[in-house]
Parts: sequence; structure tokens; C-alpha cells
Amino acid sequence: MNQEAIQTKMRQRAKELLNSGAVTMVLGWEAGTFWYQSTPILIRQAEDADKLVWNDFCQNNLSKYLLDFRFTNEKIALFLKGCDSRAFNRLLQDKQIEREKTYIIGIPCEGMKDHRLAQSKNEGDDLPLAKICQSCRYPNPVIYDELLTEEVTPRQKIVDFSDVEAIEQMSADERYEFWQKEHTKCIRCYACRNVCPACNCRKCIFDQATSGWNSKDVNASENQFYAMTRAIHIAGRCIECGQCEYVCPANIPIMLMNKKLIKDIDLLFGDYDAGLSIEGQPPLGHFEKDDPEEFM
Amino acid sequence: MKRVGVFICHCGTNIAASVDCAQVAENLKGYPNVVFSTDYKYMCSEPGQEMIKETIKREKLDRVVVASCSPRMHEPTFRRCIADAGLNPYLLEMANIREQCSWVHPHDMERATAKATDLVKMAVAKVSHDAPLAKSFSPVTKRALVVGGGIAGIQTAIDIANNGYQVDILEKQPSIGGKMAQIDKTFPTLDCSACILTPKMVEASSHPNINLITYAELEKVEGYVGNFDVTIRRKARSVDLNKCTGCGTCWGKCPTKVDSEFELGMTKRKAIFTPFPQAIPNKPVIDREHCLKFKTGKCGLCQKICPTGAIDYTQEDELVTTRYGAIVMATGYELFDHSVYGEYGYGKYPDVITGLHFERLINASGPTMGKIKRPSDHTEPKNVVFIKCVGSRDETKGKAYCSRTCCMYTAKQATLVREKIKDSNVYVFYMDVRTPGKGYEEFYNRTTETYGAHYIRGRVSKITQDGDKLRVRGEDTLLGRPVEIEADMVVLATAMVANADAAKIAQLVGFSYDKDDFYTESHPKLAPVETHTAGVFLAGACQGPKDIPDSVAQAGAAAVKVCALLSKDMLETEPITSEVDTKTCAGCGHCVDVCPYHAISLTTIEERLLGQTITRSVANVNTSLCQGCGACTVTCRSSSINLRHFTNEQILAEVDALCQTIQNK
Repeated sequence: MNQEAIQTKMRQRAKELLNSGAVTMVLGWEAGTFWYQSTPILIRQAEDADKLVWNDFCQNNLSKYLLDFRFTNEKIALFLKGCDSRAFNRLLQDKQIEREKTYIIGIPCEGMKDHRLAQSKNEGDDLPLAKICQSCRYPNPVIYDELLTEEVTPRQKIVDFSDVEAIEQMSADERYEFWQKEHTKCIRCYACRNVCPACNCRKCIFDQATSGWNSKDVNASENQFYAMTRAIHIAGRCIECGQCEYVCPANIPIMLMNKKLIKDIDLLFGDYDAGLSIEGQPPLGHFEKDDPEEFM
Repeated sequence: MKRVGVFICHCGTNIAASVDCAQVAENLKGYPNVVFSTDYKYMCSEPGQEMIKETIKREKLDRVVVASCSPRMHEPTFRRCIADAGLNPYLLEMANIREQCSWVHPHDMERATAKATDLVKMAVAKVSHDAPLAKSFSPVTKRALVVGGGIAGIQTAIDIANNGYQVDILEKQPSIGGKMAQIDKTFPTLDCSACILTPKMVEASSHPNINLITYAELEKVEGYVGNFDVTIRRKARSVDLNKCTGCGTCWGKCPTKVDSEFELGMTKRKAIFTPFPQAIPNKPVIDREHCLKFKTGKCGLCQKICPTGAIDYTQEDELVTTRYGAIVMATGYELFDHSVYGEYGYGKYPDVITGLHFERLINASGPTMGKIKRPSDHTEPKNVVFIKCVGSRDETKGKAYCSRTCCMYTAKQATLVREKIKDSNVYVFYMDVRTPGKGYEEFYNRTTETYGAHYIRGRVSKITQDGDKLRVRGEDTLLGRPVEIEADMVVLATAMVANADAAKIAQLVGFSYDKDDFYTESHPKLAPVETHTAGVFLAGACQGPKDIPDSVAQAGAAAVKVCALLSKDMLETEPITSEVDTKTCAGCGHCVDVCPYHAISLTTIEERLLGQTITRSVANVNTSLCQGCGACTVTCRSSSINLRHFTNEQILAEVDALCQTIQNK
């Protein structure tokens, strides 16, 4: 099914769901300010359903927006790509949303286009897939109530860690210099955190000014501490949607750090893909009586 | 502004030999919040403690730092000391400048002094952030569980019961008695093992305060000191203990014969059986794996002939949960599997047996009615070789440790061979002879001098089967020449090892064990029967190889500890537990899943949000169950769960203090 057909069906289903009263709102994407940017939209009226779009730039992970409706009793329909659906499971597993209050319309996804490159091109020009989509292993929603189209074939079967391995090859000094350079660019806007489905704390540690962990100063040292803490906080929980990197205004390779932790956790605890199911617990999130105590 | 007093201890020369204590005290003068700083030879001494108390009053101190040994040694001492002077006992910090400084840096006073200064500064920073804490109380269930019904378990139970407390003995076998029931004579007095054990077994079974739970296993342990909720699996016995009189008709008629575990396979038992004649309870169980009724559905003979109708094929395993105040582990040991020793025939030569086989062979109620006979052809052996340290003191194939009992039981068995077979020759291959017990050395001397056992210092390199003889080759290292003995029987003194399921059971109950799976005592010298888990104690060989006298002594010690615990109506509980900040807690429940003590659960709270009442989940800590391990605090990304006395703020204050001194260098 081509994009336009999907978009038509998308609008049609949104109308039906709103008209029938099955849901009180629908989360989707609408055309953004620029042609290479589609932005999330929340519609409550069936007549607004025609604002919904499906194109090469529906990057935003809509699951995260459910957090804004944690304490309402509304039933929400939302469109989820493969990565978004893993985010949905992330939030379910973290007990932040309720499955019964949602209606998931899954969209098997062919991949989004590189929106950064698009900025220097014209509409209609050929564009490569976004970096995160090039190595996508789960383009089909893993949790849904209905699917809009047939499932698609995953582009990759195993995680491509070549970028992580390149960093691992560096000497400690080179690596330090690499990250120092990257993190110096950080303006601490926290967009990466705000967009991350694994970052679902009620009050983020970086918003607790008196906690003493991290000051508000924007400098290499504090930025690095922020970056490392953020990565560690989502270790074993990252669902690889790449939203952090997508929204970063400083173009910091944030997924590289997330992937390093995924690689290490796979090595230490066996292969684990977060958000595929809500069964069991993340590798770092549970206790077994036979957990090794090599340090004791 | 806090008023912190700093007290630097010399610990004689333990600290003062490598740390300039006066200099450390001097360095702390003028440090933020420090109003007093001094050093003294022994802070823990009476005058040392008096000085702290007087200084608290004179200088109006509100917090105290003692820099001395590990808090594991003297934290209780100094907490009591400052409490005597009117301070909350939790407004104390100890800087460990002995184990973590002077002892590990003995040759560099300048840097050791600098490090000690840093450690004390960190303690000052932490104590300045410490908050007063109060202990709370929880009730004590006045009932104990003894896991294991061998001599250690039986003795522990009798001693507890005699103090007036209820005790349950949990035994996985159908009868209590353990390994001691299999042993023939006991060293160094040569009194009959059964003769001294069975009265204890009877006492345990008839004691009004003791309840036997045989043929049962631990399933689950929850709770904490004073209130353990223990679930026990009572395995289906297929025999109703209330109806059975132990008449023995059933096992007389049972057609199925199975190798007897008690006789180490040297004779047969029936599918419905008691393990040995003096078993307690002397009521059988059906071995469902071999019983025809269970295998084929036919037979049912025992049920037909049972005069009291006690046989019940429909019985199922039963799970029973009981609350206990204390648990004693007395699960005993197993013998090392010598089949790893190729040079001794990989366990394939029938006349190469273990010491325990020998005990059964020489026992009057054993398979040979007490006549020493070779398992292969039932002839009386003339030349008997004993090999010690099979699996013990052998890191490559066995265990590094000494099994402690083998020297003595080998001497005993050598004596018994010489006594029963007058024209026999006994050879004992040994590495060392270790006899550190009362009357042990004398017994060993009698074995060699009166009974003429030949002791050969050296290891056996090879045993080969040569016709109906065994050829034992070794070296006499004292004479420096090879020896070869034509033996009729070889007895291996196999090592005592932890039970195969020892680690699993320790994990289930929740205490630690060592690399050999023996249970770890809380302190090797000063707390030998305690574990690191409050309310769980150790008796007998589950803690390490032990002979009967030591096991019985340890049983008594464990019983006293249990009684001391059960004598209290209420237990003080440590206030160092986790607490939840419900304002920031998102209720993700990760702390619930990482808590090893099941102390955290999710609970629902109501709150006002934008003019409406909402409900949401937050974590909730059961402070009686919380052991203060801190696993939850590192799992919580928003720092919404904090461990009292080790809060993020307190630890960060320490880190800051350290970083500041590094910055200044």
C-alpha cells in the first residue's frame, strides 16, 4: 500500500473511531512548518481527521505523548510504527500507562527519510533513509489492536554494532576527546530526555535542583555527567527508536552511547531487546537469588 | 553550623605505627563544622569513651566522628557511648583508618597520614548531614525451626526445647539420625554410635516441645528475624502416620527390592521401607519411583495386608507454612565422590571402598552383621590399606581444605580391623596425622603401638586389580623409597563436602556460603554459629567439616543464640531502612523487582491534581523486612527512594569532601 492509501485509511479510521465514540481523541501526525517535518497532532473532532498525514517524516514517537493523559479517563487511539510500539511496551512495563485506555492502530513502517539532509534539499529530491531506520529490525508493530497494512520485511536481522566497535577501537584518550568534543556542543535543552519513552520519571533527577547530582551549569564536565547519567538510566530499557538523536539540536550521536550499553548488556546478560514484550523484567531491573556476586 | 567532635584512635600501634594520629587531629582543626579534634591511644577503652562523653558535654558537641577500626568492630560501642552522653546514636560516623589505611599502607607514613585525614574529613562531611534515627520494634514468634535431623540438628532442638521453646525439626529423609546413624563406633572412646545417638533420637521424638517433620523439604522462606514464614513441602509418604503402628507387616510382604541407601547399596530394602531398624519415626514411606503400584498400577499388597489401613496411595505433597522466630541450619555434609581419582580405580574396583562403607561393613546391624568381608567375594580381608586425604588437601582434584575427621576415623577403623581380624595387616598411607582433640593423640598412639597399624607417610600413586588382589603402589617419603602392598581391601578416607543442594538451600533461606558451598559464619572467631542473616544460625558440618563432639558443641551454642532471641518479646529493628518520597515516585515498580527481601510493594495514594482527585501508584517499604541493602536506591532513576543514614545527600557530601581535598593538592 502506498503512503497516500495509508493516509486515506488513517483518516478514515480516525473518523470512524471518533464518530462511534470508541475513543475521545486520536494521536497522529500533521503536516509541519517544513515539508521535511511532520508534527504530532491530537484531534478530538472527526472533521479534524483530514489533518492527519502519513509521509516520509512522521518520525515522532507518539507513545510518549500518552504520559500527558496519565490521570484522565479518556480512551485514546494512536498510530504506532514498529519502534513506537516498543515504546508503548516500555511505558506499559514501567506502569506509566494503561492498555485499556488506548486503542492502537499499527502501521508497518518502510522507514522515515533523513530529515537533516532534507533541510539542504528540495521537496521531491531523492533522500536516504534516516540513520536509525537503515538498521531497523522491528518495522512491524509488536503490540496493536489493528494493523493498517500488511506487515513489511525487516531491513536487518541483527544489531549493527559497527559504529560502537569503531569507538571501542579508540584509545581511552581518543575516546575521551571524542566525547568531550561532542558533549561540549550540548546546550542541555533536555530535548533528548523529553522525547525519550524510557525517560518517564515523575520528576527527573536533572530537574531536582537541590539533589546535588548535576548542576545547571552548561560546561563540558556537567554535560558529560548529564549524558552518561541519562544513558545509564535507560540502560537495558532503551527501545532504539532514535528519538533522542532525531531531536538533538546539537547533532550529538546520542544513540551511540545507548547502543554501547545495549551491546554490553547483551554480552553480560544475554541478548535482550527492550519493549518487545511486557513479560519478564529488564536485565538490570530484577533480582535473582543466584545473581552472581563476583565482587563479594 | 554543626558542632562535630573528632576523635582519632591510635589503636596502640595498629594505627599509630603508620599514621601520624596527632597530625590527623591537627589537620582537622578548623575544618568546617569541626569544633574539637584530638587523638588518644585507645578510644574504645574506658578512659577513651569517658573522654568522648565529657567532651560532648563540655564542648556541646551535637555529632561525633571516631577515626579508628572498622565500624563492624566498634560502631555499637561508640553508638552506646554517645547515647550515654545524650546524643542520638546515629549522629556518629566512624572513619576506618585501620583496616582501610594503616594496615594496608604500613611503610609510607606521610601518605597514610594524608589518606587518614581525607577519610576523617569525609566522615565529618557525612556526619554533618546525618539525621537522628530511632529504632522501632517488632514482635518475636517463639518457635524455632531446625533444618536437618542429624546429631547437630537433634542436639540443637533438644537444647532449645529444654529451654521451654517449641522447635520443629525438618528432615528430608524418612527418619532423623543423619550420618551418625550409619557410623559404627565413635572415636576416641570406641563407644557404639547408635547406642549414644538413639537415646537422643528418642528424646527428640518424645519431647513435648519438639515436633518432627520428616520426609519434607524447605520450599520457601520469607520474612525476617523473629518472624520467618517458612513453607515446608511434606512429601507424600503414602502412609498415614496417625494410623500406622510401624508393625512392619507391609515391608515384610513387599515384593520389590531396591538398593538400600542407608547401607550404601550393599544390601536391599523394600519399596515400602524404613531406612534402618531404629528409625524415628519408625513408620515406613513408599518409594514411588520403584513401587509396583505406582509404576504399573498393579500390586497394592501393602494396602491389603496393613492391619490399620494406613496405606494411602492417593496422598499428595502438602505445602505447610509456619511462622518461626529463628532458623538453625544443621543440614550436614556429603562424602566426596572419589570416582575422579583414576589412580584409585575411578570407583570401579569393588574392594576399594569408602570409610562410610567400612562403617556399615563393621556394624553389627549392617549387611555383613558386623563381619568385615570384602564386597567382591565376601571373604575376610587380611591385608587392609587405608588411604587418607582422598579429596581433602588436594586442590587439583578435590578440595583445598582438611576434612578434620579422617585422621581419627581412619585410626579408629585401623584399630577395629586389627581387633576383629587378629592375623590382619593394616597399612595407612598419610600426608600428616592430625589429632588436635581431647584424647585423640593418645588414641592414635594406641593404634600404632598397641594395635600395630603400619603408618606410611606418602601418597598412593596407583591401585591396580591383580586377580582377586589389589596392588597398591606408593612411596614412603620418610624412607625415600617406593612401596608396593598386596591388599585385599582398600579403604579411602574421602573428604567431607557440602551437600549438593547446599548453595540452593542457602539462597532459598537467604544467607551466604563459601567457595566450597559450606555455610559462612558471621565471624570466624567471634560469631561462629551466626550467619550474616539475623535470626539464622548454623550447627554441625554444614558450616565446615566437623566431628561429632564439635557438632554437638556447636549445636549447643546455636541453641543458646536461638533462646536468647526467643526470650525477647519484641526485637529492636534497625532504622537504617529505605524510605520513599511519594512526591517524586512514579510508581514504576522497578524497586519492587530488585528488592531481595520482598520488602517493597506498590500502594495507591490519592492526591489533588488540577482541581480533581486522582489516584496513583507509589512504592511502599515494609521497614521490618528491609535490610538496608540499598539495591532499590540505585535502581530508582529519580532518587525517589533513599536509604536512611546512607542518603544520596550524605554520600555526595562525602564525595565532595574527598574531591575538595584532591582539588587542593
